[in-house]
Amino acid sequence: MNRRIRELSARFGMPTDVLGRLEALEEQETVFVGTPEVMSFDAVRPMRRGIRFARIYPYSLKPTTFGMQVLGGQATRNLVELTDEQAKLLINGGSLNVKADVDNGFVLLKWQGLVVGVGFYKRPVLKSQIPRFRSVE
Amino acid sequence: MLRRRFPKAFIERYSQFIPDFDAFLDAMQRPLRRTFRVNTHKATRDKVLELMSDLKPEPLPWFELGFSMPENGDSPSEREDARYGPHFPNLGKRIEHFVGLIYVQEAASMVPPLLLQPQPGERVLDIAAAPGSKTTEMSAMMQNTGLVISNDPSPTRVRGLIGNVDRAGCLNVAVCRMDGAALGRAVAGTCDRVLVDAPCSSEGTIRKSAQALDRWSVATIARFPSIQKRLIAAGYLALKPGGSMVYSTCTVAPEENESVVTHLLERYPEAEVGTAEIPGLKMRPGLSEWGRESFPEAVGRCRRILPQDNDTEPFFLALIRKPVGNSELRSSDLQ
Repeated sequence: MNRRIRELSARFGMPTDVLGRLEALEEQETVFVGTPEVMSFDAVRPMRRGIRFARIYPYSLKPTTFGMQVLGGQATRNLVELTDEQAKLLINGGSLNVKADVDNGFVLLKWQGLVVGVGFYKRPVLKSQIPRFRSVE
Repeated sequence: MLRRRFPKAFIERYSQFIPDFDAFLDAMQRPLRRTFRVNTHKATRDKVLELMSDLKPEPLPWFELGFSMPENGDSPSEREDARYGPHFPNLGKRIEHFVGLIYVQEAASMVPPLLLQPQPGERVLDIAAAPGSKTTEMSAMMQNTGLVISNDPSPTRVRGLIGNVDRAGCLNVAVCRMDGAALGRAVAGTCDRVLVDAPCSSEGTIRKSAQALDRWSVATIARFPSIQKRLIAAGYLALKPGGSMVYSTCTVAPEENESVVTHLLERYPEAEVGTAEIPGLKMRPGLSEWGRESFPEAVGRCRRILPQDNDTEPFFLALIRKPVGNSELRSSDLQ
């Protein structure tokens, strides 16, 4: 398994075979995840294969909101459950003061039982890492 | 009611062959219902209905994952000039949209993938894909397996396509930015299914944009058939023997529809036109002639969705099959 995937699986308590039959690809400081057919497609050079799963920084690995929305459902730790109002605030780019039983660092944000994105927790501040496209009401 | 002024040429052209023409004009002046599709990559139908129960979405009678929104306003007479205003909920600002549980998509635009029926594990080409509504629909139908090659030549439109593929959680999509004809040659003979949802004069969008009617002209229509003919031929070339293709547009003009299918049948006489049916959705047969042009009998198996029949945009659909045993590529195809 890709060591980046292993690192994120460990942080979020995901099974070691979180990818199942999916494959990972590292390109341009990014980890992409997709089906084997997507990863092996070579008739032309695609602009994008699958979805972005994580960004690679010199001293950290940042999970992406869209990657975690798909695979984060298997996570068992470093999760923060949000109310409707908290979810809207964070999706709109805000931050919250919360007491959460999580490690400092990247956490997964859950709303209504679904992973909606990624936050960064530095006790007691939970800051949104969700990309902002448009406001949510 | 807000009366739109349809150009004289528009009325002269389309009153010739559109049945119930007054009902057609009437429907083209009514604002389009807001509709969405449940994205099964992210949530079940029941979960979405539970989360959106405040809006009381109504199921489309012909697609279990498609829903339309009732108006917010009480007075039907206000609907005519409300457009997408306060009488229709703004689905794009819902959390469910942001998270990708739903995809806001016009009802008729959900039909081409339903007709194409991509299956799990297959290789599918969406040759003119942006902004990605049909790519994401097909990806979900394939249960995030196999490969959807999703292409658009425009740098700006392909960015939106990638954004929608990300939001919908499509793990089986490779996004390309190429000329569609060149891509068809590059993957010649390898695709189980192909969708050619061709760029068109977009007469169908008149229901959601008054500007679309302002821009309408016969000269605008004349700009599209050449690219449409290139794309339908490229899509056919990409098919495996035994594979299926859907050609679709959101426009009414026969030059962009029946004439394009006729062009394909002239170039590839072995191509078969299937009968396009979706239970519960009313569709009309393709035309047999337009102006001085007579179309082959098979073109009558194409289908037209008219706005008065199902309260959607107008749409055109052709289901085409490449026969088994037709595996030879002509050298001229690859040039």
